[in-house]
Amino acid sequence: MIKKTFIILLSICLIQFFSNNSYTVEPNEILKNQKQELRARNISKNIRCMVCQNQSIDESNAPLAKDLRILIRNKIKDGKKDEEIYKFLTDRYGDFILLKPPFKLNTLALWLLPFIFVLIGIFIVFSHNKKSKKI
Amino acid sequence: MKKKLLIIPSILFLLIVLTFFYLLIIERNPSEIPSTLLDQNVPKFETESLLKKERFISSKEFGNEIILVNFFATWCLPCRDEHTYIKRFSNEKGIRVIGINYKDNPKKAIQWLKNLGNPYSNVPIDKYGRIAIDWGVYGIPETFIISSKGIIKYRHVGAVTKKIYKKINLLIEEIE
Repeated sequence: MIKKTFIILLSICLIQFFSNNSYTVEPNEILKNQKQELRARNISKNIRCMVCQNQSIDESNAPLAKDLRILIRNKIKDGKKDEEIYKFLTDRYGDFILLKPPFKLNTLALWLLPFIFVLIGIFIVFSHNKKSKKI
Repeated sequence: MKKKLLIIPSILFLLIVLTFFYLLIIERNPSEIPSTLLDQNVPKFETESLLKKERFISSKEFGNEIILVNFFATWCLPCRDEHTYIKRFSNEKGIRVIGINYKDNPKKAIQWLKNLGNPYSNVPIDKYGRIAIDWGVYGIPETFIISSKGIIKYRHVGAVTKKIYKKINLLIEEIE
């Protein structure tokens, strides 16, 4: 009995894990031009949904996310470049709207500290090993 | 010497714990994001007005006096909660308040203002939420203080409570 429920649960988890193809972009939002649609999807994946905050607008059901998806598609249709669209959004919502923070002076610590910590860790391990060998 | 060094990680850990604890106890709303539009000019827009026949033209409205801009909708419950404070701004303090009607049904909005009282000197309609995007709005109600030079000085996300009401009044006094 336990084995059976375990197998069922495991298969549910596996199905969930591999079925991340679903997305919230509604059929009427999709652009006819596939290249343009692909660009829109790529941009949307990098844009934070300001309402839910830990989702991209590509996967969020929030009305604002939908508005922004449509806005991005309209801008693409108008012939705007990706950089121009990103700039339009960060001008209004700040860098926070980008899921990946940009490499700037005020985000330097954010980007560099992990590497510094790894270096410190390596240093500690090596110096510790040296000392213990001596003993 | 070696034993003394071993204390360092525990001190670091304690510091981290203290920082987290401090961030937990201070009063803050972690989901509130500072507006990037602070100290910038009001976004330009032109749209229909809910209660007036003439179109709402932002460049004509801003830049003469301190104005509060309040994004609201009838479907938004916190908007109803904060309405008494919005009314107090215009009735008691004599501050001009512009209410941007966000993605709403105009008929319902007119009725809503009739029932609850209308504190707004003008109500531009943001039918598709496009104006709100230009203001960096992400969760209505949102309230902005605009200086007499037409510059955004403060943004509050969420309903205006008693505390925020006092804060906004203080800020307005400072700006004046």
